[in-house]
Amino acid sequence: MNFIDARQVPSGTKLTPDLVIVGGGPAGISLALALANTKAKILLLESGGMEFDAATQALYAGQETGVKYYALDATRLRYLGGCTNHWGGWCRPLDEDDFEKRDWLPHSGWPFPRAEIEPYFPRAQSLIEAGPFLYDELAKGPMPQPLLSLGQGGLYNSFFQFSVWRGNPTHLPTHFGERYATDLKRIPNLQVMLHANVTGIRLAHDPRWVDHLDVTTLSGKRFTVAPRHVVLAAGALETARLLLASNDVATAGIGNGNDLVGRFYADHAIPRDTATMAVFGGDIAGVYKDTQDIRGAHCRATLSATQDFKRARHLLGALVTVEQHVPLDALGAAAVTTTSAALGVDGSNARAYSLGCGIELAPDPERRLTLTGERDALGMPRLKLNITISDDDFARYRTSLLELGRQLLASKTGMLRLDRKTRAEWLSVMDWGNHHMGTTRMHRDPKQGVVDANSQVHGIANLFVAGSAVFPTYGSSNPTLNLVALVLRLADHLKGIFR
Amino acid sequence: MTKPDRRVVIGGVAALGAVVVAGIGYEASHLIGKHYPPTPYDDLLALLPDREAAKAVGTAFLKDHPDFTAKAAAAVLRKHIGKQKLDAVLQREIASGALTEAGHWVVPQTLAGLCALAAKT
Repeated sequence: MNFIDARQVPSGTKLTPDLVIVGGGPAGISLALALANTKAKILLLESGGMEFDAATQALYAGQETGVKYYALDATRLRYLGGCTNHWGGWCRPLDEDDFEKRDWLPHSGWPFPRAEIEPYFPRAQSLIEAGPFLYDELAKGPMPQPLLSLGQGGLYNSFFQFSVWRGNPTHLPTHFGERYATDLKRIPNLQVMLHANVTGIRLAHDPRWVDHLDVTTLSGKRFTVAPRHVVLAAGALETARLLLASNDVATAGIGNGNDLVGRFYADHAIPRDTATMAVFGGDIAGVYKDTQDIRGAHCRATLSATQDFKRARHLLGALVTVEQHVPLDALGAAAVTTTSAALGVDGSNARAYSLGCGIELAPDPERRLTLTGERDALGMPRLKLNITISDDDFARYRTSLLELGRQLLASKTGMLRLDRKTRAEWLSVMDWGNHHMGTTRMHRDPKQGVVDANSQVHGIANLFVAGSAVFPTYGSSNPTLNLVALVLRLADHLKGIFR
Repeated sequence: MTKPDRRVVIGGVAALGAVVVAGIGYEASHLIGKHYPPTPYDDLLALLPDREAAKAVGTAFLKDHPDFTAKAAAAVLRKHIGKQKLDAVLQREIASGALTEAGHWVVPQTLAGLCALAAKT
């Protein structure tokens, strides 16, 4: 039994594992599983327990400014499994161009190409339980109903696959805490400590090393953990908070010598009802409207911008989802009648659908986290998030939608109404994906990134960050599959250190 | 007197019936179908099979293009379309991205121009 309750640990205790993983979400759990049976003694510290607890969740509360966003204690969950306890299970690998440095996009460029994490996708796919790794290959095989004909152009039929918790009859996505608790308990070199909140990262006399972590429980216990290495896997919000708040030696916060920690926060903007698609031939394939099981994959068809289109037109990731059937108003019916007749096709059975979207934001240093003067129940300063979205972000996405409209006409498949044009119109239907990214961005140059290509905090030899906090750009794919692949790559790096 | 072949009679009656039905249909379409007064742009408007639907699209287009003048647009459209089939003209525009919006619906520019003409008449 290697699950222990921090509230049972006597105050003043000093623990000395080889590695501490801070956070028991998909990143922390994947890392622990990947390091099973290595020589390293591992301690995973999780703030919560096995279930939701209001007092623990309240530690997440903070402030938001800028564009309307979720409350910081509503956009994530603080117990074992982390955000997988409420995720939708959407999975898709990032595109190759997402990793590229683009001269027209400031702050773009990962330190390595996608090929660097590709070997880790199969294991990540397995941990996420998203079936065989097929994705866009699905479009090349037989389909229960034909996909939309889009012809040549900037958008194509793309596929998401969904995490399906093995053995769960309701098709819930995998909740990492509950799903892997038994596996974690079987790992001989791992201890999982619940209800253990890290409240400070303390540097050694040589500030290039972490000496120890302060750990506190809501019941008042205080003890220290002095590991050889630390991996922060607490999510893009909490990881930045920990680094910024640990400012007793490095006054700007650990790893923040270049004022980058907390900056470049990102999420996927997912405004609703962004466009209306009329399909001349009537009903579209069910796989656009809901998930279906095809070739062993629980999947859903979407429309995505091609890499060539993004490169040529200087666009970012753009995802289009088909939401629900909507009636055509008088003008819509007239537009369909006129256009289909002019193109020489029958539009008398046309059917219209509202479209949803996923917008990749350009990296913005002003979309950032800072600490406030308020403190939580453990004395930690609370976060303030300034969330931004630029007119260019909307304009780029609208260009992709316009291209979809062009392709529908070119293939005589249908036509598109662009429902949002002005900033006010976009903001009126604004929503977010709860995909927290970017606050400890990865870059080889310490002046441009908080962590290096190995996810090690620049200048701190034994401190690493795991998770989507390190993404320097974001793509339009949901982050979980990609962050788990990146974590598995980090695990290999750590295995080399512990060898 | 020769007795007429039964099949010939039945065939003749059926043919006559078809002619009558067709005639009624033709007259009915003349009576029921909407008549429009002649305009200087009938050659262009004839390209639109449903003038009322086109008017609705054109009215939406004109909201964003208040400077549209029928006479000038007609001259441009005649030159642009020439003797080509409308579908071919539109496909070329679609391929090159020569699109515009009418009431936020994405349509080829020539189609929007024709619809705007319909709305102006």
